[in-house]
Amino acid sequence: MWLVLNPLLLSGVYFILIVIIGGTTDSARYVHLTASLFLFYLVANSLTGGVKSITAGQRLILNTAFPRIMLPISAVVIAIFKFIPTLIVFLVIKAIMGSQFSIEMLWAIPILMITLFLALGLSITISCINVYFRDIASFLPYLTRTLLYLSPILYEASALNPNLKALEIVNPLFPILDSWSRALVHGEVPQTSSMLQGLAWATGIFFIGTYFFLSREREFAVRL
Amino acid sequence: MSSLSASKLQKTNELAVSIKNVGLTYTTAIDRRPTLKARVKALGRGGKQTRVVRALDDINLDIEYGQVLGVIGTNGAGKSSLMRCVAGILPPTQGRIEVYGSVSTLLALGVGFNPSMSGRDNVFLGGLAAGMSREEIEGHFDEIADFSELGEAIDAPMRTYSSGMYARLAFSVAATVRPDILIIDEALSTGDAKFKEKSLNRVKELRSDQRALILVSHAMQTLRETCNDVAWLHKGQLIQRGEPNQVIDAYQEFLHLGKSAAIDEDV
Repeated sequence: MWLVLNPLLLSGVYFILIVIIGGTTDSARYVHLTASLFLFYLVANSLTGGVKSITAGQRLILNTAFPRIMLPISAVVIAIFKFIPTLIVFLVIKAIMGSQFSIEMLWAIPILMITLFLALGLSITISCINVYFRDIASFLPYLTRTLLYLSPILYEASALNPNLKALEIVNPLFPILDSWSRALVHGEVPQTSSMLQGLAWATGIFFIGTYFFLSREREFAVRL
Repeated sequence: MSSLSASKLQKTNELAVSIKNVGLTYTTAIDRRPTLKARVKALGRGGKQTRVVRALDDINLDIEYGQVLGVIGTNGAGKSSLMRCVAGILPPTQGRIEVYGSVSTLLALGVGFNPSMSGRDNVFLGGLAAGMSREEIEGHFDEIADFSELGEAIDAPMRTYSSGMYARLAFSVAATVRPDILIIDEALSTGDAKFKEKSLNRVKELRSDQRALILVSHAMQTLRETCNDVAWLHKGQLIQRGEPNQVIDAYQEFLHLGKSAAIDEDV
């Protein structure tokens, strides 16, 4: 129940924001907003779930031997289970709004894979950082909020002021969300360069984070 | 690991755990919590505020199958640290630990339990955390429920349990695991006198030629009854090891306590 209601209310709140600030009541904008917002929350939930996964699992870590990396991975799995109902909500919204369904929408599948890869990498990295700097957990809400505004969610990627193009390069979610919206909302084939850029970010974060995690893993029991 | 437990012919006197020259040092931060803020402040002061604790110092210990080893020592002697090293939770700073077989640890009761879920669900959670498969837990479920004596309460959420009920269920789950090497760290003192007796009997049942048991306890009488070998640790060093009565007598003499009731009574 709340799994469906939550994303609906969330997209409703942000749509009000768009209407007031942007002054548009375009239904395509609403479809774009819901699609992007739900994918963004998949990543954000992985981060918020992952950040405390190691420190909260203290008892488990001190008393049993198991691969510690399972803790941040399980945070991503939980985020995926929260994401699935929102995907269904999105498809219903898209149908109601009279937006066209097309075969190009299947491009969303590889984009989703890249997103999951990125979410996994971020979750593993941040869970490890939080062991050494416990106050990261307090910064995180502001970090995700900033990321939300820097990503093409409340606006379309193409509408971004050219002077702010630098944001595209430093934000791993930018190319991913752009491709996602192109495929799911507009039924276009996403740009190969965007997808490759997203994949590069995801791979980089995943491997650096996992290396960092695995090399520090044995120390966690002492650090907790 | 599985190949070892599969070939259960006669393992008596085969080496189960070999601990060679093991040392362990902790570097603990004096700061209460490691934070970015604290790190930045430390930059201003210069130097890290840490304290080095030598928890284990050159320990040599071999444990064979069929042995029930009791580990004794005062608080802070390094008993739990040694057990965590054997279980593979803490990496030793120096030396080498070889383990031949599957290890299960009972270092703390109720690891992996979720208080908002029912006792029934927690049996599965705890069992999975202890390394059992879902099928194994299902097969042993009735046995666990009977042993815990919870009756109908097994379906109530665990936050409604008394601490005794909680500990009873936790011990019941833990006692169902059948590993090659079992480490029990002061987990026996749970529940009322009747349940203590029952759990002690369960530990005695677990003694077998195919298994190595390591008991960490302050209950000297229990150790005299159950163990066939006792190791005494003090300040990270192995002081004495051998026949239970002899080592325990030496330890009690060291404590100047003699045979007082306080150490004999608690199981």
